Amino acid sequence: MLVDARLGTDARLRVGDRLVVSATPGGAGDTVVIAGFESRAADPSEVARSEYRVRLHLDQLQSVTGYGDRVDRFAVKVRDTSVTRAAVDAINAAAFGFRAHRSREIAVETSQTFLVVSRFHRAIGIITIVASAIFLLCIMLLKVDERRRDVAALRLLGISSRTITKSVVVEAALVASLGSVAGAALGAVASAFVNWHYRAVYRTPLAFSILTPRTVAMSVALSLVLGIGAGWLAARRLARTAPLTLFGR
Amino acid sequence: MLAVLGVAVSAAMLLDMVMLATGMRQSLRSLLLSRGFQLRVAPKGTLPFDTEATLDSTSALAARLRANPDVVSVSPVLGGHVHVRPRSGDGAALTSVALGVESTVQGDYELLNGGDATADDALVVNDAFLAASHRRIGDSLTVAVDYDPQLRAYAGTRLMRLTGRARFLYLAAGQRAVAMPLATLQSLGGAARADRSSLVMVRAREGADVERTRLWIERTFPRSAAISTETAMRQVDERLSYFRQLAFILGSVSLIVGFLLVTTLVTVSVNERLGEIAVLRAIGVARHRVVTQIVLEGVAIMTVATPLGLALGLMTARWLNGILAAFPGLPEAIDFFLFQPSAAWASLGMLAVSGVLAGVYPSWRGASQPIATTLRQEAIG
Amino acid sequence: MNALTIAPGAPVLEAQSLRREYRMGDERVVAVQDVSLSIAAGEYAAIVGPSGCGKSTLLNLLGVIDRPTTGSVRIAGRQVESLSDAEATRFRLLHVGFVFQRFYLMPALSALENVELPMSEAGMARAERRARASELLGYVGLGKRERHRPSRLSGGEQQRVAVARALANRPSLLLADEPTGELDARTGTEMIALLERLSADGTTIVVVTHDEKLARATRRVVHMLDGRVERDEPVR
Repeated sequence: MLVDARLGTDARLRVGDRLVVSATPGGAGDTVVIAGFESRAADPSEVARSEYRVRLHLDQLQSVTGYGDRVDRFAVKVRDTSVTRAAVDAINAAAFGFRAHRSREIAVETSQTFLVVSRFHRAIGIITIVASAIFLLCIMLLKVDERRRDVAALRLLGISSRTITKSVVVEAALVASLGSVAGAALGAVASAFVNWHYRAVYRTPLAFSILTPRTVAMSVALSLVLGIGAGWLAARRLARTAPLTLFGR
Repeated sequence: MLAVLGVAVSAAMLLDMVMLATGMRQSLRSLLLSRGFQLRVAPKGTLPFDTEATLDSTSALAARLRANPDVVSVSPVLGGHVHVRPRSGDGAALTSVALGVESTVQGDYELLNGGDATADDALVVNDAFLAASHRRIGDSLTVAVDYDPQLRAYAGTRLMRLTGRARFLYLAAGQRAVAMPLATLQSLGGAARADRSSLVMVRAREGADVERTRLWIERTFPRSAAISTETAMRQVDERLSYFRQLAFILGSVSLIVGFLLVTTLVTVSVNERLGEIAVLRAIGVARHRVVTQIVLEGVAIMTVATPLGLALGLMTARWLNGILAAFPGLPEAIDFFLFQPSAAWASLGMLAVSGVLAGVYPSWRGASQPIATTLRQEAIG
Repeated sequence: MNALTIAPGAPVLEAQSLRREYRMGDERVVAVQDVSLSIAAGEYAAIVGPSGCGKSTLLNLLGVIDRPTTGSVRIAGRQVESLSDAEATRFRLLHVGFVFQRFYLMPALSALENVELPMSEAGMARAERRARASELLGYVGLGKRERHRPSRLSGGEQQRVAVARALANRPSLLLADEPTGELDARTGTEMIALLERLSADGTTIVVVTHDEKLARATRRVVHMLDGRVERDEPVR
């Protein structure tokens, strides 16, 4: 018998241990030897399930459970994917009492939970982006506000609002670039932490968070757009104020 | 305006996360206790209906349980699936969740209209079943269990009468369900289901020590597990810990964002009014009074932003709840985002405290600027 | 602290060997040095001098806004240079009135509320302070504009509100830093007349000014140069 590694840890089992397995607690069973341990597959649909699994020889399981010569399903591998449909149809039409499904259809059914979680994450993402846009704008306003005396002096010297706006926007872009690089690094660390934590909680090899070049590119682009936009708004507010007002007069 | 919007968004997100962290537990608790059963007896090592494992010798088990003076009600339930032939006779059979219950003590559904599943052939169904089967109360239909694909035959069939319409408490929205007398469902399954149940619900006497009763059950029936509401919630909590942790992280983030936002706003406001503050100090207004005044302005922003945040939070909570309600198998009555006044107060309290703390430092710094230097700088520009 | 009494003819203000240094980067700047000054009760004096000569710094030292590096200041018989920040704040509130070049009224408050502010801070009852604020605004000629916000008042009117505010807690000493600096010729003249009227009614006033007309209207002019008192003479 192959034993779930989690059960091995929890029940302190070792390879070579002899166990009695039965279909009902305390019922008549069969003695088996632990041949090895196996980790759970990285299957999202199983992540929240806490029960243990063991793997027995088919005939032995049939005998222990009183299932006779029955199985729950067959997995069929076809020669190549182009004939899958035809194979499914052929089985459904010819084999007596069977119904064949494509693996992809089953995958769609079993991954419903994760589709919901994914939609939830997307919604949370949208909310986070709105909140961070407002936050960025505030930070940029503060940053630009710190420079109001410099801006007033430049305006009094005759530097145009346009030039001032441009320089503030360039600075905002720089800040946003540096911030997004730092953010991506922080994201990578957070992602590693999330994976480490939830793998331990759910005892699964599943990757909960994956940082791809596409997600990095999207976040950097988004923060650049937000940062520059916020910088532009803040600069425009300052450039439109009379220099003497900026001095507090 | 920006300040108000920023604080409102932060308040909304915080409220949502407090609702997410507490709502799920609360609505699960209300659901589990809605029919007054505090204990659920299931095969050892399983949660109710989590696997296909069943308890044997149900009648003996129920009798022993009823004999306990601390137990006032025992409701055995057998779960499974039934198939109903379509009206026309062709097409695939309609499959539905089936519950075998003792209708006088059951705690799984609320009868909406019609009669309960008291007679052997009575069937109580939900709206999803009625819609899919195109049947009405009073109709007769043949239900079957355990389809054997090799023999293309069912293990048991029976003609039944549709007597009532009900709302099933623990089933997901849109999930088809029927309930029938426990003995009927057991007999439909043949020897394999004789005297078996998936779960036995137990209601303890008011004032009884539920934990003591639970331990007694586990001692008396070693092959079963007695699960209290608290244990069930703890186990579900473990499975859904992701959402609580997410709520904690995002709640903290929104609190930090709110904090930084107020700090930023107060800093800008103080910088703009350094001269004014210096003059107040020059004419003898005490520093703590100046700080209080500025902090109060921050509190005023939050007071205006809070109702907006509350409305925004409730709207987004509804949206997010709608998304999560599509979880496969989630009971309809479970809300991930449940509005409770305590959650609103908690988030408002946290926000108010963080807002005040956020305003104190910049205003203290502003009020502590050297008066003479500030006045000179403000005058010179 | 509020019960300071000044004997007639006794000095309200006595400054001894004042020195004030600043650090500007690595450099040490001496803004005021070796200044001794005595102002008697009811006196009306002007401190004049070129820009940067230290006259505003001196006024801040005399008004307990700033602390001398060395030297001492005595106001109405009380040594003030070593007061703690909170004590100095309370002292200014009750004993020193300030008028600034740029008025510095609170924009969100009406004229009446601006005048009430120091009295409210001093803990005066609402009815009493309201009556006094109203009386003071009447005194400075703004009885009919007491409900107006600063933004709806002219520069001259704002400065008169500032004067009324400075007088709110019946200070022993009124200090004014360039009170006509932001006013046009006509309102400047009105301000000079108001200060003269205050002096005639017994208020002790020290002004810092560039305005020759204002300086000539006082009874004594202290000339400063490079942080020192160069000349101290009565106005003929």
